[in-house]
Amino acid sequence: MIRNYFKIALRNLWKNKGFTAINLLGLVIGMTAVILIGTWIQNELSFERFHTNEKSLYKVYNRSTGPGEISTWDITSGPLGKALENDFPEVENSARIYWSAERLFGVGDKSIKTKGNEVDGSFLRMFSFPLLQGNSDDALEGVNNIVITKTLAIKLFGDTDPINKEIKIDNETNYKVTGILKDLPSNTAFDFEYLISLKGNETKYSGSDAWGINTFYTYIQLKPNTLIVHFNEKIKNLVERKSDKYKWEIFLYPVSQSHLYSRFENGKVAGGHIETVRLMAIIGGLILLIACINFMNLSTAQSQKRAKEVGVRKVIGAGKSSLISQFLCESILLAAIGGILALVIAAVYLPYFNQLIEKSLMINFLNPLLWLGLGGFVLFTGLLAGSYPAFYLSSFTPVKVLKGAFKGVKSSFNPRKTLVVLQFSVGIALVIATIVIYQQINFTQNRATGYNVNNLVQVRIEGDIKKNYDLIKTELLSARAVTAMSKTGWGVTVDGSNGSGFKWDGMEQENLNFSLYRTGGNFAKTMDLKLVDGRDIDFSLFPGDSSSVMINETAVKKMGLKDPIGKLIRKDDSALTIVGVFNDFIIGSPYDDVRPMLVFGSVDGVYNIVMRLNGLNDTAKNLKIAADVFSKYNPAYPFTYHFVDQEYAEKFKDEKQIASLSSLFAGLTIFISCLGLFGLAAYMAQNRSKEIGIRKVLGASVGGIVKMLSKEFIMLVVIAIVIAVPISWYFMSEWLQDFTYRIDLEWISFVYAGVGTLLIALLTVSFQAIKAAIVNPVESLKTE
Amino acid sequence: MLLELHNIFKWVTQGGKRIFLLSDINLQVEEGEFISIMGPSGSGKSTLLNVIGMLDGFQEGEYNFLGESVHAMKEKNRSKLYKEYIGFVFQAYHLIDELTVYENIETPLLYKNIKSSERKALVADMLDRFNIVGKKDLFPSQLSGGQQQLVGVARALIAKPKLILADEPTGNLNSKQSEEIMQLFKELNQEGVTIIQATHSETNAAYGSRVLHLLDGRRDHK
Repeated sequence: MIRNYFKIALRNLWKNKGFTAINLLGLVIGMTAVILIGTWIQNELSFERFHTNEKSLYKVYNRSTGPGEISTWDITSGPLGKALENDFPEVENSARIYWSAERLFGVGDKSIKTKGNEVDGSFLRMFSFPLLQGNSDDALEGVNNIVITKTLAIKLFGDTDPINKEIKIDNETNYKVTGILKDLPSNTAFDFEYLISLKGNETKYSGSDAWGINTFYTYIQLKPNTLIVHFNEKIKNLVERKSDKYKWEIFLYPVSQSHLYSRFENGKVAGGHIETVRLMAIIGGLILLIACINFMNLSTAQSQKRAKEVGVRKVIGAGKSSLISQFLCESILLAAIGGILALVIAAVYLPYFNQLIEKSLMINFLNPLLWLGLGGFVLFTGLLAGSYPAFYLSSFTPVKVLKGAFKGVKSSFNPRKTLVVLQFSVGIALVIATIVIYQQINFTQNRATGYNVNNLVQVRIEGDIKKNYDLIKTELLSARAVTAMSKTGWGVTVDGSNGSGFKWDGMEQENLNFSLYRTGGNFAKTMDLKLVDGRDIDFSLFPGDSSSVMINETAVKKMGLKDPIGKLIRKDDSALTIVGVFNDFIIGSPYDDVRPMLVFGSVDGVYNIVMRLNGLNDTAKNLKIAADVFSKYNPAYPFTYHFVDQEYAEKFKDEKQIASLSSLFAGLTIFISCLGLFGLAAYMAQNRSKEIGIRKVLGASVGGIVKMLSKEFIMLVVIAIVIAVPISWYFMSEWLQDFTYRIDLEWISFVYAGVGTLLIALLTVSFQAIKAAIVNPVESLKTE
Repeated sequence: MLLELHNIFKWVTQGGKRIFLLSDINLQVEEGEFISIMGPSGSGKSTLLNVIGMLDGFQEGEYNFLGESVHAMKEKNRSKLYKEYIGFVFQAYHLIDELTVYENIETPLLYKNIKSSERKALVADMLDRFNIVGKKDLFPSQLSGGQQQLVGVARALIAKPKLILADEPTGNLNSKQSEEIMQLFKELNQEGVTIIQATHSETNAAYGSRVLHLLDGRRDHK
């Protein structure tokens, strides 16, 4: 029976090639989108789930109650992990990991910069990052031991066995390779190519005040069946008990949750990546729904062709249920063909999609779960898409359809029309969203940065650069490759530190929070900042500048200073003199207001060089000179630099990604919807050919007929616009709330979306309408 | 007694008025009869056949089929009844275009859940009997009208019905093809199958053992 159904289905699909093609195309696009989104979501949901100890691994967080808000952070002090392990029998294991750093690796004359962490030896025993060579139990238990990934091993050592070989790191210390890590899977937030043993370096990062300096991430493995709620209650005040000084609380948070639920607000989990996952799931579902609606529409549009078959089958013994199964078989067959095609297209398109979402997803064709999932998905799609047509078609009564009097449904409430409206509502809403997102990005990108981002290059201070900085500077300036340069704490596009507790005369607002920054001098000059008042920090002219500070205009305003130059800013025991006021510039998020900012003069704690290339020269020439000079004074390291304008552009990455995704999906939705419209219009033109013929004989013009045929469809799109506009207005206003610096929603963008969609729909429909209208009436009337 | 119609009335309401499609029809059919229903277009021949075939209902009257009261039956049982005992032959053949001759004949058996081997045997018999073995893999569009109707009759017969209802079975055929089909009906009748046909043609009507005249939905006894 089933075989019989499939056979007929195939013949039917083949017979109506045009409809089948349109139907299949829509379905394939929808299914491809779902497969891609599904792969992504699957990856997101599987983060850190591959660890054997997944259920018992926790990360330690701090929680501190300040004025008006509870802040939560995950960087902890050095002794914390061991203290937990020693004091609480529930703790099986603990490991610290020092934050990720890029280091220079040298083997022979080969040197490569690569990223990794310093960890306790227990790390490899707790987490499932298996060693291909070496023993996880003790690979990182020795001083100056290192394990590296397979990929890095091949880069450094080629074909030779790397075990027990030495790697010189940062041109200083030799480390012994004790293990080869399997390359990290894509579903982990850990990001390292090497792990170095912390042994021997334990105190390096914590200094004397071990409990007060937070420098490590701490991971805990609990014994099975430990109730985390109770345990968290027990350890809450550990830091205060141990240090007798610091009052912040600690708590454990499951590693398996840390990727999807990572945002804490007021000490509580407030979401995180899961929101994107949900949004994508909704979009995927909508696209699939729209593709299925297409299927329903096109299938029911064909009902006249199928009506006779239904009648005959019923007369010769078919029950309603067997007809329903037959039509469902047909839709499932089409869904299966679509599913296979979609899988192939998804696999081909995956690299581009990866680029878009910045991931490295893969489809594992050997995984039986994939095929099981695809089977279920095909079944689901087939049933969803086929349900309505199946019930509709199977309900025909044989007497009516066999008499030839059958003429589709004519009621004014036509489910097919409702479906078209639904499709276009979703499409238009997505288009509006895309327009608004792009407007917001554009608006923010055009926001004045406050400094000149062009020709600005940054270099990390590493190796001998620190020692030879002055020589480098002199040489670059005299070669006229750069016009100014400055050492800073970190990159000029990173709002890396903030602090409060500063005091000054005439202070009105307690606990004003400042962006904090450090410079070794010439900062305003290098950045092209406007000095509103006073001077730049400059140690060569003012050797005492380590007690000087520059502030921005917002700080002047917020601090309520009248005549800022010479005023003192105090914190704890130290006092800083304001020597300059510069104009506001964007260091943090371009979507936020500029915060009050303090730029300290400092010779220590500066790890970054920012330099202004000479705009009169060719950039390539400037960089060539810079490369020569840096290599001369820092020969062990390759010269690496970053353009500030590119780094600034990075700030828009997330929003741009959302914009590309939403435009992609909006485009797909509109396209699929138009496919459906195209099919429906074709059906209508065919159905009304007699009417068109008679009208033409009676004197109707081609234009008049095109108008008559298109009007109905255009009305549907207009209704869709009316539905989509308020919905998208609401959601986009919500979205914009997240940005302090934002556009106002403008009605014109809604007009663009509406008119644009309307034009596309009109083009789609009128193609069929014109085709029908220019037919010679003799032809269409003869056939009746 | 195969079936019995008592005072059957069927009407539609148009513009507030009842238009009678069948009025006061009485009919008794014994097993093995071959009845021809005659009358001009619109006289209610097809409607009567549809009522007898249980494809269509009626507003008043009683209908007993093999001793069961069709008028009192639920839709589900009614369709079970006609699927079991009645075969239909149409003027326009109504073969399924996407199926081959073989598959068209086989389809009723599929709906009766008959096993594959048995189906094969039954269909082969039928093809044999109608001399269309060579055409079994052709599609309806590749056959002449007469051949299509032959397939139509074969399909109606395959489920071994007691009664065949034929609505102008030769309406689309030329005289030679008509004669063949009528001859076939005669043979089937002699084998014991009850046949009721609607027809315009006196010649065809003459094949029947009894003729029933209809005019404007009533029996015309003149």
